[in-house]
Amino acid sequence: MQTKYKMKTLVAGLVAAAVLAAPMTTMAQNYPTKPIRLIVAFPAGGSTDIIARLVAQRLGEKLGQQVIVDNRGGAGGTIGTEIAARAAPDGHTLTMGTTSTHVIAPAAYAKVNYDPVKDFDPITLVASTPYLLVLHPGVKANNLKEFIALAKSQPGKLNYASAGTGSTTQLAMEMLNRAAGIDVVHVPYNGNGPAGAATLGGQVQALFGSMPAVLPHAQAGRLRAIAVGTAQRSPALPNVPTVAESGFPGFEVSLWLGFFAPKGTPKPILTRLQKELTDIASNPEMKAQFEKNGASAVTNTPAEMNTLMKTELEKYGKVVKAAGISLK
Amino acid sequence: MDADIISNLALGFSTAVSPINLFYCFIGVLVGTLIGVLPGIGPVAAVAMLLPLTFNLDAVGAIIMLSGIYYGTQYGGSTTAILVNLPGESASVVTCMDGYAMARQGRAGPALAIAAIGSFFAGTVGTILVALLGPPLAEIALKFGAPEYFSLMVMALIAAAVLAHGSMLKTICMIVLGLLVGIVGTDVNSGMSRFTFGASGLADGLSFVVVAMGLFGFAEILCNLQDKADTASRDILNQKITGLMPTAADMKAAFGAIVRGTAVGAFFGTLPGGGPTISAFSAYAVEKKLAKDPSRFGKGAIEGVAAPESANNAAVQCAFITTLTLGIPHGATMALLLGALTIQGIAPGPQVMTQRPDLFWGLIASMWIGNAMLVILNLPLVGLWIKLLKVPYRFLFPAIMVFMAIGVYSVNNLDLDIYMTILFGVLGYIFIKLKCEPAPLILAFVLGPLMEENLRRALLISRGDPTVFITRPISAAFLVATALLLAFMIVPSFRKKREEAVADSEAL
Repeated sequence: MQTKYKMKTLVAGLVAAAVLAAPMTTMAQNYPTKPIRLIVAFPAGGSTDIIARLVAQRLGEKLGQQVIVDNRGGAGGTIGTEIAARAAPDGHTLTMGTTSTHVIAPAAYAKVNYDPVKDFDPITLVASTPYLLVLHPGVKANNLKEFIALAKSQPGKLNYASAGTGSTTQLAMEMLNRAAGIDVVHVPYNGNGPAGAATLGGQVQALFGSMPAVLPHAQAGRLRAIAVGTAQRSPALPNVPTVAESGFPGFEVSLWLGFFAPKGTPKPILTRLQKELTDIASNPEMKAQFEKNGASAVTNTPAEMNTLMKTELEKYGKVVKAAGISLK
Repeated sequence: MDADIISNLALGFSTAVSPINLFYCFIGVLVGTLIGVLPGIGPVAAVAMLLPLTFNLDAVGAIIMLSGIYYGTQYGGSTTAILVNLPGESASVVTCMDGYAMARQGRAGPALAIAAIGSFFAGTVGTILVALLGPPLAEIALKFGAPEYFSLMVMALIAAAVLAHGSMLKTICMIVLGLLVGIVGTDVNSGMSRFTFGASGLADGLSFVVVAMGLFGFAEILCNLQDKADTASRDILNQKITGLMPTAADMKAAFGAIVRGTAVGAFFGTLPGGGPTISAFSAYAVEKKLAKDPSRFGKGAIEGVAAPESANNAAVQCAFITTLTLGIPHGATMALLLGALTIQGIAPGPQVMTQRPDLFWGLIASMWIGNAMLVILNLPLVGLWIKLLKVPYRFLFPAIMVFMAIGVYSVNNLDLDIYMTILFGVLGYIFIKLKCEPAPLILAFVLGPLMEENLRRALLISRGDPTVFITRPISAAFLVATALLLAFMIVPSFRKKREEAVADSEAL
């Protein structure tokens, strides 16, 4: 009884404190008042997690409060993102959103319990990871043109690996399938590692893989890199042309990573976070660390992020529909 | 070539035995063991939790410490499997069967010691294999495509029937049930949800920890609580504990099992996918097949602990082959280790060996050192662990339940997982009452999704042509072996033996 009473007082006290802590402006001025939770909708150790942790450490130093990475993986990143969408919009919960969580999942899943545009206040992009089209060295094609010719000469015979149904690796290749009018068959694997292994072992002929996963094998000559999916060539592989310059202008596939806050987060807090995050991503040391992880630093504004999401939702939405991808 | 290996190993040892790296290795193994004995917290959770600790270390120190944590947890998981029937990760499910039986007979000490010794032997062989044959073995592993994996898993599943002690019909039912439980989640090919009942927490399927903690740990506690008679028998068990170390007879019996288990583990461990679990189950099946009196298995046969523990550790060691030489992770823990390397700015892949020989060979050397430390650390700890068994149930059970809940929750940070564990606990209790063994269910649960995935992938690549399974030589060999295994089981003399064994166990 005694402890129960104490609990009640404690709860009442907390509620009172919360009420007294308003008005918003003072809250924003004192921000942050406690450690910040950064939700990463993917497991620890993955590429999104690594970038998130690199940035989290610096952000913590700048804000004078620890930024704790909270890995809430599962269901293609939709579980963690949903938690972030429902969190209190006070700047103490942020999430690292990506092309997967904020574009592809909403486009490909039959039901996602958040709206990437309406439920979030975008802050800024921090990084983007390029995609690289690689072939098993046994495939008789040295560049994209030859690969397309080969695929056309034997329709439905070649296979490509992906990191899973509805992954960027699948959508990238489906976009190429459509743009080039070829029919390379999708074989889904469980993640980038197994997809890479299948291509290395020649079980499948092609993979439009994430740069960090396939670059080491391309450099070692075990996979043949024939095109990058970015608008510009990659500094890591200056001799490999882009898909766009190989005859498909406008073709662009990359995975971006950026910071989001739940909708309704006070403006001053968003502005502060955008300034700090832009600083962090522009820092040469951070840029170098991103590059080591196969990503490049990118920053933009909330308005640009909204435009980016809307354009991509439309772009990938078409591919998803055309390829008949539906995750339930 | 040989001189190369020696100079490489010399480089490795000189890196690994630097006082600071030895310290990291020790800390890793110690922390790993301590976390591993907490029920429900397996290698994946432990490495994920401790990953941030290594961010500020240099690359060599970080990977050495994380590997230490990995071995430590793996071993810690076996400790709980033997003592309280709680498998820390999928591979120790097998250890539960005879290890826990030994503990109930007051022979927990020898069981723990033989697990440590077997693991050390296997670790040593594994280290040598990685050093000598790493790159060529990795090439062979790449030859394994979808058809090969599928046929291999069919074989493993059929072997699971050999594992069971009770009725064949019940075993088959448990396997089928395991396959069904494994289907829960999103289908890799179509993206359709199956048996998720709209819960997003089930979209990625049930986690192994949930199923194993429920069927083994939770069910065991329920069973022990049901009446006073069992508590009384436990008190007898406490007094009966004699001798912490295995006797000469134990060592003799276990030696062959350790060697065979190591061989089995090294083989399966090299293949990316399902390594330690398939190894442990297969090694156990091999021992049971070779035993003069297979009915001893499941009732405290020391070979039943030695073989799967050795196999499991050999597989863990060999898992580093594909991880390091190809940058292809072997499972969730290896993926985390690769993640740690990436954080250190090292792109895992074939070039690690040439660009960072100190890291590559240092890790190989520290594998062996880590295994040695595990034995040195754990043999004296055996006495301490045994004392844990003397803790009265009224303290031990609530503690186990709390740690189990924490462990289960820590995997995905989902409360749904805790409820599911309770559900599986109740199911496990019913199974115990019906004399249905959970081990075949667990194996089917682990293998089922992989098998389905590879079957469909193989048929997708062959454009629906099923002959791919018999025209590819490695796959065909596995299927022939499976057919032989089946023939053995159907042969009347064998069946008779089985029935005798069943009669034995029911008489007990």
